[in-house]
Amino acid sequence: MTINTLAKGGLQPEQMSCFRKMEKVLVAMQDPDMGMKMRNQRLLITVIPHAMTGHDIITWLIQKYHICEEEALHLGEMLVKYGYIYPLKEPRCLVLRPDESPYRFQTPYFWTSTRWPASELDYAIYLAKKNIRKQGELMEYEKERYSLLHKRINHTWDFVVMQAREQLRASKQRRKADRIVLECQEQAYWLINRPPPGVQNMLDWGLERPNNFSTRVPLNSDYYKSEIETSRRALGRNRVKSSVCLEGFVKYSEQYQNHDPIMQGCLPSNPWISDDIAYWMMNSEIVPVPTRLRVERWSFSFMELLSDAMGRREFMTYLEKEFSAENLHFWQACEEIRHGESSKIIEKVEDVYKNFLAPGAARWVNIDSKTMDKTLEGIKRPHRFVMDDAQMHIYFLMKKDSYPRYLKSDLYKNMLAKAVVPQETKKSVFPFMRRQRHSSPSPAQAGAQAAEEDGRAGTNSAAGSHF
Amino acid sequence: MPLVNNKVGDDCTASGDKALADGKALVDSLIKVVACYRHLASCVGGCTDSLQLRNELRQTREKAQNLAGDICHHLTSHLRDKSLPDGQRKEMELLWVAFSSCLELLHVDMCKVLNISGIVSLADSASLVHTGLEGCSDVAARALSLPDLNQAQTDSLPAGLESQERSTMELEISQIDRMIDDMEMKVNVLRWMVEPHGPQYADPLSSTDSASMALQSIDEEQQAPTSQPLCQRSHIFVLLLL
Repeated sequence: MTINTLAKGGLQPEQMSCFRKMEKVLVAMQDPDMGMKMRNQRLLITVIPHAMTGHDIITWLIQKYHICEEEALHLGEMLVKYGYIYPLKEPRCLVLRPDESPYRFQTPYFWTSTRWPASELDYAIYLAKKNIRKQGELMEYEKERYSLLHKRINHTWDFVVMQAREQLRASKQRRKADRIVLECQEQAYWLINRPPPGVQNMLDWGLERPNNFSTRVPLNSDYYKSEIETSRRALGRNRVKSSVCLEGFVKYSEQYQNHDPIMQGCLPSNPWISDDIAYWMMNSEIVPVPTRLRVERWSFSFMELLSDAMGRREFMTYLEKEFSAENLHFWQACEEIRHGESSKIIEKVEDVYKNFLAPGAARWVNIDSKTMDKTLEGIKRPHRFVMDDAQMHIYFLMKKDSYPRYLKSDLYKNMLAKAVVPQETKKSVFPFMRRQRHSSPSPAQAGAQAAEEDGRAGTNSAAGSHF
Repeated sequence: MPLVNNKVGDDCTASGDKALADGKALVDSLIKVVACYRHLASCVGGCTDSLQLRNELRQTREKAQNLAGDICHHLTSHLRDKSLPDGQRKEMELLWVAFSSCLELLHVDMCKVLNISGIVSLADSASLVHTGLEGCSDVAARALSLPDLNQAQTDSLPAGLESQERSTMELEISQIDRMIDDMEMKVNVLRWMVEPHGPQYADPLSSTDSASMALQSIDEEQQAPTSQPLCQRSHIFVLLLL
């Protein structure tokens, strides 16, 4: 037997917050002006007040909380399933029907609670009461549980029976109508706290069941110090307003909409539909003349330019004119270190140092002294990311300085003018003519072919693509 | 020496029997009081909640605590007495187990009442839950074994009564706590060794048992003081028919 106290506190799980909220809803429903409309329940000769229909409950919820009917139905269902309202017609069926079915409020004593869960002793007393009151009233599963309890808490069985009798006598002091209500209340309580087999136990927390071991944390100064540290770190984190994030996302989507083959379609035609691989051929890594869309994308961001092989080539040409090509060479070398083979790292770092960082190097790059010192220190023990700071510095240098000028330069503008916009392939004149089906060539192969046949127009089987 | 011992033994047995009977009577009345308290507690927060109900609760609670204190002393002193003969010891242990179950029920009920009075305040009568009950009756009278309770109907809530009630309740709950702890510390009752009484209580589902119990309750009904103005005559006839 365990006794849980107010004083010790924290040994019993906190009342689930959803219970507290449901209790508030219940209390709000009692308001004489704005609360639930009450009716009388008529049973043969007795009249019992304070009944309400399912329809009334839902209407009240809709009005009070300004929600739609579906949500009100769901909320009402929860109130019934957790035992705050119980049905009068079919007590074992804990469902909220949005019609004239009668319901009644459960008394606060029997409200679902995790702090004082129903105990075995209570259940035994309830079953004993039921057994004494009317022979044969216990259902099969109740009889089984009764026998089980009889074995389990056998030592206190005298008490169970005596207490059951006393409780029955106490309730005999009341009028018949009250007795009926009390029996219904108790029955509803036990249907929730000891559900019949096959019915889901509403109090089962499932995977969220609290792990008792972790809750036994000693609340000493160390604990509070670590809590303060965690909160401080959390405050210091960079946060972006969700509105700003969403704006950025919307801008990105707008900018790229025309470039998306699914949203905008692709020219000359979608290879997956038309079996014509011209689209892939024209957009492969290195082509004599790039497509217009591709060249446009170079102006979207610096990273777009750098990740396109042709873009890099063009940019390099431009930088050579400006005598700042070593920046791009350095950046490319750093990329190779980052993404290359582990065994070659040391060798590559040595090369980079010799060519770019050493005083008096052939292609010396201009890095600020702090970053230079840090990188030189790191080179003593080279690893994959040792060049990161320097690379980042040069990247931003190019981005702020050379890149905007490139976009304004003649070189870029000529490229843009030269870029080709492929025409859409003419659709077949006879709309329902069956295409000859054959296995489509793989785009990977198409790319390799284009790389080999440098300069030669790729093969295609459809008519009408102009270069 | 043996003579003296026998004498002491005789006295012990005789007084032991009396002590047992006393203890049994005390525990029986505590069971009755706890049942009534539970019955009253189930009305708290509902539409029948009133100052009168709270008064009755308080009185029932006080009675329960007094009884509990008495039983605690009684049983503790006897069970710590090493010279208690075995048969009596067994009976005492039975009483002990019944007593601790009583305390457990009382404790939970008190905690629940405290909790509910925090959620549904008596001062705000608009928030009392419409449970369908109408009017409480003489349950408390039954608990206190009084023919009638003269209650002065007070309509207004005296200032500060509720908070005072709460602090009193919290005190009493912690008292019960300590009593339970003390009990466990002082007396070691092996619960798995305790056997309840014979066949009358053993079989939970035999028909004779429930019928006999029902009859017994009818007898009690007829013998109890008829301070049941609200109880209908017809109910007694119905009971007799069972």
